[in-house]
Amino acid sequence: MAGQLSATGKAAFTLEAVVAGGLVVEQLVTTLNAAKPWQLALPASGIVGLTGPSGGGKSTLLAALAGQRSCSGVVEFAGRTWQNGRSGIPAHKRDMSLGFQDSRLFSGQTVAQNLALAHRYSRRPLDSGARTQLQADFGIQHLLQSPVEQLSGGEAQRVALLRQLFHNAALQLFDEPLAAVDQALVIRRLLPTLRAFWERHPALVLWTSHNFNEIQLLADRCLWMENAALTGPLRLQDVARRLQFGDFGHTCYSRVEALVVGQQGGMLELSLGGHKLFADRVTGDYARGQSVAFLLESGDISLSLEWPGLSSILNCLPVTLVGRQALDDGRVRLQLRSGTQDFQADISCLSFERLGLHDGGQYFAQFKAGSLAGL
Amino acid sequence: MSMPAADLQALWLTLRLAALTTLILFIIGVPLAWKLSHWRSRWRHLVEVLITLPLVLPPTVLGFYLLLLFSPNYATGQWLAALWGEPLVFSFTGLVIASVIYSLPFMVQPLLASFSQNGQRLSQAAAALGIPPAIALFKVLLPASKAAIVSACALSFAHTLGEFGVVLMIGGAIPGETQVVSIALFQHVEALQYGAAHRLAIVLLLVTTALLLLARWLGRNPAGAALPQPVAGVPGVPG
Repeated sequence: MAGQLSATGKAAFTLEAVVAGGLVVEQLVTTLNAAKPWQLALPASGIVGLTGPSGGGKSTLLAALAGQRSCSGVVEFAGRTWQNGRSGIPAHKRDMSLGFQDSRLFSGQTVAQNLALAHRYSRRPLDSGARTQLQADFGIQHLLQSPVEQLSGGEAQRVALLRQLFHNAALQLFDEPLAAVDQALVIRRLLPTLRAFWERHPALVLWTSHNFNEIQLLADRCLWMENAALTGPLRLQDVARRLQFGDFGHTCYSRVEALVVGQQGGMLELSLGGHKLFADRVTGDYARGQSVAFLLESGDISLSLEWPGLSSILNCLPVTLVGRQALDDGRVRLQLRSGTQDFQADISCLSFERLGLHDGGQYFAQFKAGSLAGL
Repeated sequence: MSMPAADLQALWLTLRLAALTTLILFIIGVPLAWKLSHWRSRWRHLVEVLITLPLVLPPTVLGFYLLLLFSPNYATGQWLAALWGEPLVFSFTGLVIASVIYSLPFMVQPLLASFSQNGQRLSQAAAALGIPPAIALFKVLLPASKAAIVSACALSFAHTLGEFGVVLMIGGAIPGETQVVSIALFQHVEALQYGAAHRLAIVLLLVTTALLLLARWLGRNPAGAALPQPVAGVPGVPG
């Protein structure tokens, strides 16, 4: 079990691990949170989610960190003081980038010109190979010569995100960067690309989203902002629990971590606590022994009482039923555990009664190789 | 359609005056509008009103004060004349200065509107990518304000072409120096030379129409719409 813990605890960091060089925020106050000053300590690299109900103050926090909103308090990054009391250094002198909800592409210019500007004023410019690769991964090569006015909302968001990656700042702040992009494209292609990019070009990334799936696939920890009060970094499971009581009722994705055993083209073989798992339609490149995270949709999982034998459904995990919650639409949401990993499965009330499932029971969870999303 | 040499001279003078005025206005209008667009002082209102005044004041009021200012009978006029080497009143130089003041709102207002709406958002986006403000003006704001710039230049040029009251007050009608088309036309009408007046009037009418059409065509946005539009925003989730 101990071995498994260290395997799945990749890149996990604790507050104690935050050393000088990261982001330190003390007593940060804007007009929004006069009574609840923000405190934050994050390491110099890693991906941190930021979520919470709308209007909670997430965008305000990002603007204050970027120096684009009047505030008071202390903000330090990489040993440099950005804000002290009421005075702060201007945004363009901070080694950071901020992406906006509304893309804000530079109008009157083409996509290529937008990207070139971000590259030109980068403090850590990417080489041309990395830039070409990113353009291909984002699927915008055919748009390079288009004026930005001609882009659709989803295309504009992809270009804006890419522009920010081209700038490659040490602190990268994102505000709902993929809200208008097709979710299948996000999970299948963009998120694996982003993870691989930050693996090669480490930075501290603050990823704001209402879509917890994005955060589960990208981040190790997550900040929670509600009514202008900031908490965290929290473990992803704790945030998932907060969200389950909110409006996340109908589809539920669980984050699962496993070790890479081998990859052959789009087929990936993984090990979860010694059990083999297969994923197909994989777009990322993974090394043997690497720890990866993927999402399982609760509706994709079926349960059986006995080992089901050979089937076209490639994945079969022995699990323990540790909890359940009746949904008001004829289904039951089960909390399943395999080793140290918990995930959710939705089955009908009828199946639940027929199988006579009970807490603590040992069962087999089956899901197809295509159900492992985000790889 | 033949035209007397004096009228051709007036036409040429008018075009030179309009071109020079537009150039000078562009050079001072861009930084002025940019400064005004993120100046947060209450004095901003006074400055904006002063710039707008030529729009609403009778041109003769402006011309009258400029005449007093430039007149060699007073200290300021003498000082200006000494500075420039010749009296500004009844001179082409004086006319250019007066035109710049007279057409200032036509240059500054469209630029200011564009910089205030789209410019604020784009300046922030540029700063958030490490681009210093002065560079953002040239590399981000000006390309994004192309339609406003073209329209501001066309309006300034056309407005200067039609100048009458101010010129009459401080320039008079010295052929080759201060006699612009509108003045020449007025003189033809006074002398009951309606044919000559017609010819000048029709030239002015055609030139300005062509100019404004050209400005529309140059300022069209790449998406095909006739009016400048901000980049299609994504309906974002506030929070």
